[in-house]
Order: sequence, then structure tokens, then C-alpha cells
Amino acid sequence: MMLWGIFSALAVAAALFMVLPLFGAKTRIANRQAGSVSILADQLREVDADHERGLISAADAQAARVEIKRRLLALSRLPETKRMDGIKSGRALLVVVALAVPATAGALYASLGSPQMSSMTFADREDERTQRVEITDLTERLLERLKNDPNGGPTEGWMLLAQTYMRMERYSDAAAAIANVTERKDVTSAILSQYAEALIVAEGGIVTPDARTVIARARQMDPANPAASYYEAIALDQAGDGEEAHDLLLARLNGATGSESWVELFVAQANRIGETLGRDVVRPAPIAPMDAAPSSGPTEDDMAAAAEMSQSERDTFIRSMVDRLADRLENTPDDLDGWLRLAGAYQVLGDTQKAQVAYHQAERLAQTLPDDDPRRQTIREALTGLEQ
Amino acid sequence: MIPEIGQFALALALMIAVVQSILPILGAAHGNLLWMRSARASSVAQFVFIGIAFLALMRSFIVSDFTVVNVVENSHSLKPMLYKVAGTWGSHEGSLLLWVLILATFGAGVALLGSNIPDALKARTLSVQAWISTGFLSFLILTSNPFERVFPPPLDGNDLNPLLQDVGLAMHPPLLYFGYVGFSIVFSFAVAALIEGRVDAAWARWVRPWTLAAWMSLTAGIALGSWWAYYELGWGGWWFWDPVENVSFMPWLLGTALLHSAIVTEKRDAFKSWTILLAILTFSLSLLGTFIVRSGLLTSVHAFAVDPERGLYILGLLGVSIGGSLGLYAWRAPAMEGGGLFAPISREAGLLVNNLLLGAATGTVLFGTLYPLFMEAVVGTKISVGPPFFNAAFIPMMLPLVVVMGFGPFLSWKRADLKGIFQRLRFVAVLAGLSGLAVWYLTEGGPVLAYLSVAIAVWLLLATLREWTTRIRLFEVPFGDAMRRARNMPRSSHGMTLAHAGLAVAMLGFIGSSAWKSEEIVFVQPGAEIAIAGFDVRFDGVERVQGPNYVADRGTLTVTRDEEPVTILFPERRFYPVAQSSTTESAIRSTLAGDLYASLAEPASEDTAASGAWTLRILYEPLVNFIWIGAAMLVLGGGLSLSDRRLRVGVPRRAITPAAQATPAE
Repeated sequence: MMLWGIFSALAVAAALFMVLPLFGAKTRIANRQAGSVSILADQLREVDADHERGLISAADAQAARVEIKRRLLALSRLPETKRMDGIKSGRALLVVVALAVPATAGALYASLGSPQMSSMTFADREDERTQRVEITDLTERLLERLKNDPNGGPTEGWMLLAQTYMRMERYSDAAAAIANVTERKDVTSAILSQYAEALIVAEGGIVTPDARTVIARARQMDPANPAASYYEAIALDQAGDGEEAHDLLLARLNGATGSESWVELFVAQANRIGETLGRDVVRPAPIAPMDAAPSSGPTEDDMAAAAEMSQSERDTFIRSMVDRLADRLENTPDDLDGWLRLAGAYQVLGDTQKAQVAYHQAERLAQTLPDDDPRRQTIREALTGLEQ
Repeated sequence: MIPEIGQFALALALMIAVVQSILPILGAAHGNLLWMRSARASSVAQFVFIGIAFLALMRSFIVSDFTVVNVVENSHSLKPMLYKVAGTWGSHEGSLLLWVLILATFGAGVALLGSNIPDALKARTLSVQAWISTGFLSFLILTSNPFERVFPPPLDGNDLNPLLQDVGLAMHPPLLYFGYVGFSIVFSFAVAALIEGRVDAAWARWVRPWTLAAWMSLTAGIALGSWWAYYELGWGGWWFWDPVENVSFMPWLLGTALLHSAIVTEKRDAFKSWTILLAILTFSLSLLGTFIVRSGLLTSVHAFAVDPERGLYILGLLGVSIGGSLGLYAWRAPAMEGGGLFAPISREAGLLVNNLLLGAATGTVLFGTLYPLFMEAVVGTKISVGPPFFNAAFIPMMLPLVVVMGFGPFLSWKRADLKGIFQRLRFVAVLAGLSGLAVWYLTEGGPVLAYLSVAIAVWLLLATLREWTTRIRLFEVPFGDAMRRARNMPRSSHGMTLAHAGLAVAMLGFIGSSAWKSEEIVFVQPGAEIAIAGFDVRFDGVERVQGPNYVADRGTLTVTRDEEPVTILFPERRFYPVAQSSTTESAIRSTLAGDLYASLAEPASEDTAASGAWTLRILYEPLVNFIWIGAAMLVLGGGLSLSDRRLRVGVPRRAITPAAQATPAE
């Protein structure tokens, strides 16, 4: 809200600057002729002064005077400069300009700015840093434990580690973690496509031959795996086979109901490739009305709505989302991850008490988990933090 | 929120610049005073909004707001505050923002202070200034947006360039840009004059203060940059003929020529089209410098080709502004009438020689700077044109210039009496020759050119002082009278004396520190003694110390002379862990006679460092401080000239005729 207030103030200031000449005092017109005359006159005085000081001889001074006077004379012969209209005419244009400047600047800003994004100073982000340190700590410990496991560590453990690395943008580490389980019997197509993703992101988006092999394996195991199809399309496109890539994406989109989470991404990719091929723009199929499953996350519309809200509106919006989650957990109280998410949300909103309750609930559920599950650690540390 | 305010302010500034490019010049063409006067408000508005944007960016740097991409890439939370602030203009985007801010500052300056400038000329000038502004603001916004955001924001920044952590460098770009960009307003005046079709004494006087202001800050900027290189880089040199230095030096050379040729236009109504051309070329060289430095062309022609968007945009701007203004010049300049005639021996002729030599010197530097780039682009081989070329080509052009400089101020306009001047300067010439011989007798091993240069520098210094004493008739009339005459003399003439003397002083510094430099590079164990230029330097070892964001190896050197203690020097090598790089902090004992300069070079290996043996670089640079003193004199001389009352003379309070002038002479 405040931001829009400041924007308006700036826009009004700009408009005022533009109409300022309308209120200008009726100062006299400074024209060229008068300026030149006064400067030549000044030069005449300088000649006198120089002569008086004995810097130039009387004859030289006289010659100089004659020359300057000749120039003065020449000035008076020049045609008088164009008559000035005064400050009466052309007022309307200034008013138009005063309106146009803020309007066009606003339009330009709309294409450049991110008004919904607030400033985040380094000093305000102490929590985030502590959290980062904790997560790093936890992943180190998890890695140690997995490495020292005589059975090579559970597949889920390695995948959890890999996903954490991905979030920390340590892509090569993530790929290395998954590489430990890709030759196991319990490997799934989903694991392989995640492996492919890590390999590709680690190479800055380039599909390496290794990654290509992994994608092929993932597609072989489960031709319906959307992630595998997606990366196959990217691989094809990078190999110069844009048409095949586009066809593949379209085929998958045609088989989709429209409510799948990956549709958006496929459409965007298909259009990106399609643009270079000169193909028609693909639109997502109208999304089938979803049964209002309470577990559904925020939809695109929700996000778009959130982006346009003011800070306080957004807080209310987030609260309503959190309340929805809380309601759902009333009905499905065994959802450990759900409780963790709720607790985290309360913590962000500054609602310590509710966060504690949620973490305690999660702690009860986590008792059945193995000791090395990092979630137990998270809960313990969160609770200690909150109780301080 | 703050970065978004900056973004919006920048958008407003661009739109205002667009309006200012059109409305005032249209008003001048149609005689509409209201439109012409809109230039004043728009210039100030541009300055205000770009200023807001600049402060917004600076604030983002100060509080380390890592939602701004530019802050992420060019700052770090551990940087000391001063360098966070300086980081604002450390990056490509930030420095361009500073560029347009300075552009707007000069525009607003003319709008607010140029009340003596006729409305039509002012309107046209400010419109032309807004053309440049529009070009660069759109470049900034469209290709190098300083307010681009990132989400989620990284936890800390990427850059902590330790080399940039120096006060000299923090202040260097702003000053350099002030000079560089300051010439934009002179360019705008020149283009406006071409459009108007009139250049006369009045025009030259209206432009003079702005030329002086730009020239002063460019001089100060170059001097500071060279001072920084001397103290920070640890090589003991103060000028390397590096392309980045050259691109700031070329506008300085031509700007100096412009300053002198404008005098002829003002006093004698001559050199008109030449002055206009110099004004256009000086700013063109500033633009070229910006292009070379900002396009990435310097790192490699290929790097430029890989990401050509920015480079091409700037190249386009360059083409339009230089091509357009030169085209306009070719079209309109021939119509300008020539001024008064002058004899081969006259002040005009002296200034012509000044202009020709400065122009030729600029051409030389331009050639040496661009040739390697052309070679790389066309032939594909990387060659480097270094100090040997510049020293061989540049110095022989400068020495005759300095000789003429000694005569110049004695010459009178139109026709001068050379014999009389020779008589006055006889004594000075003999003294200068003797001083060259004296230096030859007292020193050993300098090149012949050095002795000649010393004589010429002394010649300039004494001739300049002699001219001053002649003017005030010191020794001819009682001392009190002479002082009164000095007080009554226009300040610009004192300014000229100070600046010319400053160049002589700086020259002595150039010569002393290059021709008689002593250098020792030694590999030493603690306890070793090195003898250099009459000093004995004892190496007492190196210890490790912890700085705020670095660790340093600090050496201790005890300096004695004839068994008497002189000083203790502590050169350091600092290592900045975040940026993973090292810098050299030289230790310098500075006196007027010369600098004793010590730096620690890298240890040969871990083992040698452990045993305490280091490579030391010890230099003695005679007279090196004369360079900075001379530069300060040049700047002060410019300032004195700028403060001259006559620069403010212009529009009379009431209609005047020459006869009605009753004001007392200065």
C-alpha cells in the first residue's frame, strides 16, 4: 500500500515538474544579441585595464578597441532573432505532457518492476541464516550415517539427502547422492528421472550423454513418467531435433486431463520449442473442475491473487491457507509432513504457541520413525528453539 | 520496496528526458518561450529522479539487500561500509547509473546556474543534453537494469573484490566520470551552436565555465587513479599506458586543447569551427572510452562477440552521436565566418601550436589504444602496444609543446614582438640550461632525454613565474604596488600561471621518478640488509596478522641512513578468504625528495615461507610526489580561473550600450 502511495507521490511530482513553466515568473527574455553585446563591452573594458597597467601599448590598445567596436557594429547589423511568443501559447501541450510522463513511465515500470517483492536487508535475515546452518549440519550427519551403513543406506535416505542438496542448489552433490542407488533393485523410474534432473542442472542445463542414458532407462521402466518425457524432450531439442521434441510434449499433453501438476510446465516448454519451429501456440486444456480436495495446494489463481495483494491482505490470505491446512489435519491427524508444514507456517507467522502444539503433534507421530530420520532432529531443534 | 522506488524513478527520468529532447528545441525553432523554458524544469526533474534511483541503489548496497541482483553480484555482507557504498558504482549497471546521474547534474547545472545564457541557446543545449540522456537511460533500463530482483534471495553476495577496497579507487570513478561526462554539456553547447548557426565570443564565454569544470574533475580523476595505481598495485609505477588509463587521458588531452582554443574564439572571434570540432571530438572520445570499458571489448574481442547486446547498443549510440554531430558539423561549420587575422608570431599562433600538438598526441594515444583491438578483431592475433611505443611517440611531441608553453603567455594577440620576449626570457633560458647541466653533474646514469626534459621543465616553471612577475611588475614598481596589481588582475590569469607551473612541477615528478628510480628485488632471510639510494633497509621478518575481513602477512623493515634510524616500514600481503584473492599493501615513506617504497612479493613456496625467507621489492622514486602536487596545482589553477568574475558576466540588468558602462575595471 505504502509503495503505491510513494509511486503516486513520485508521479505527481513528475507531473508538477512538467507544468512548472506555466507558473514561471514573467522574467525578461534573455536574447542572444544582448548577451553578445555585454560580453564585447566587457572585452573593451579589459583592453582599457590592460592598457592602464601597461600590458599593451597605446597603439595596440587602440587597434584592439577598433576591432571590438567593429564586431559590435556587425552585431547590430545581424537580423534580429525570431520574435518570441511569450509564455502564453502552447500551454495545452505542457498539460498533455504532464499527464503522459507518469502514464508512460508507469507502463514502462509495469514491464520491468516487481512491486510485490519487498526489500530484505541482510540484518533482517538472521533466522534464515541459522536455519541454513542447521540444515547443512543435518545433511552432513545424514551423509555420514548413510555412508557408514554396512548395507549401503536405505534408498529413501539417499533420496532425501539428494532432495535436500537440490534445494540447497548443490546439484553435483545431489547427483552423486542418487548415483548410490541407481543400480539397486528397488530403483524406480521416478528416482531415475530425478537423477537425470540433477545431472542436467549440475551441467547448467546441458543434457550430457550420461543424462541421456538415464532418461532412456527411466522411460523404459515407466513410459508414463512425465518427468522422463519432459527431459527426453529437452534432450531431443538440444540434439537439434526440435520437431520430435515438440511432438513428444504435445502427445503427452493430449493424453492429459488438464489437472496434472506438470501440464503448465509442458505447455511452456512446448511453446518455447514451438516458437523456433514456427508452430502454433499450445494452450493448456481447460482445467477440469477439481473436487475441492482439502489437500490441494494454492492454485495458480491463488498465487496470482496473492501477488496483487497488499502486505496485510497477503497476511490474511496466508492465514486462510494455513487455517485450511489445520482443518484438514483435524480429519487426517496421522499426516506427519502435514503437521510439520503447519508448524513451520505458524512459526513464520510468528504464532509460537500454535507452532509448539503442531510440533508436539508431529513429535508424537515421529516416535515410530527410525532414529536417523532427519525429521526427528528437525522437530527436536524446533521445539528447543521455540521453548527458549 | 526501496529498489522498486528506484526503478520507477528511473522510468520517470527516461520519460522526462524524452520530453526534454523534443519540447525545448521545438520551442526554439518556433519562438515559443514556454516550451523553451520547460527545459529548466525537466533538467532539474531528471536530476531529481535519477538521484532518487541512485540513492535507492546505494541504500540496497548499504543494507545488503540481496533481492537485488546487482547487489548479489557486486557486494558481500562482510565488506566494510565504505566499500559497500562504493559498490554502488563498482558494477557495470551502477557505474552507468552514475554516468547518467552526472549527465543530469551538468544539465541541471546549466538550467539553474546559466541564467546569463540566452533562452534559445539554453533550450537547444539542454535538448541536445537530453538526447544523450535518453540514449543512455534507455540503454541502462533496457539492457543493464540495476534494479533487477531475484527471488528467493541468496543468503550472501558473491563479490568482495579486495583490489577495489581502496579509498583512492572508491573515489576514482566518480571523479573520472565527472570529467568524462562533464564534456557532454560542452558537446551539447557545440551542437546547439551548429543548429543555431552562430558561434561568437559570447558563446565561447558561456561554454567556458563548463569546460573548465569538466576539465578540472577529469584532471583530478586521472591523478587520483594514477595515485591509486601507485599505492595499491605494488608495482611502484604511476602510469602504465593501460587502455583504461588511455581512454581517460585522450579526452583530457583534447579537452585541454579545447580550453585553449575556446580562448581564441572568445577573445579574437577566430578558431570557431575548430573549437566546435574539438568540443564534439572531446566528448566523442569520452563516449568511445565508455564503450571500450563497458562493452567488455578490452578483456577480449571474443568476449564481446559472445554477448554483444550491450556492446552493440552502445556502439549504436556512439555511431548516432558521433556520426550525427560530425555530419551536422560538416553541413553547418563552413557557414561560420572566420575571425580576425593573425601573424605567425602571435598568441593565436602559439595556441594553434598547442592545439596541433595536443591533437597529434591524442591521435597517437588513440592509435596505440585501438590498434591491438583492431588487430585482434581482424587478424586474430593478440598484440600489445605498451609503454615503449607511447614513450617513443608521445614524449617527443610533448617536449616542444612545453617549450612553446613557456613563450605563450608573453605573446600578444595578432602580432607579437618575439625579440622583446627573447630578451625577457634570456635569463630564464640560461638558468634552465644550467639546471639541466647541474642535474647531469650531480647524478649518474640518466638518459640524455632526462637531462633535456629537466631543463625544459625548469624553463616552463621559470618562464611562467617570469610572466607573472612581468604582469604585476614586481621588481619594477614598489612591492605594495605590485601586490595591488596582482590583486586587480583577473583571477583567470592567476589560474593560468598556477596551472602552467603545476604542469612544470608534475613534469619534474615524471622525470625524476622514471629516470632516476632505484629498484631492488631481493630474496632475503630475516636479518638481511639491503642498500638502496643511500638508505640501509634491514628485513626483520614476517608475521601473520588478522584484519577485519582478511589475514595478512606483515613484514617489518627497519630503515636507517648513515646509522641514523629513519623509519620502520610494514608492507603487507593480504588474503581475502571470501573472494579467494590476495592484494599487496605497499609500505611507503613519503617525503618531498622522494618515496621509499617496499612491497612483499609472494613467497617462493610454502617451505620458504616457513623458513622466513621472502622476496622483497624495494624502490626509491625521487620526486614522485611532485606529480600529485603538480596535479593539485592544475586543478586549483582551473578552480581559480572558474571563480573569475567575468565568467558570470552576461546578460545585462538593463538594456546597455557600451558607452553606458560605468562599472569600474577589475
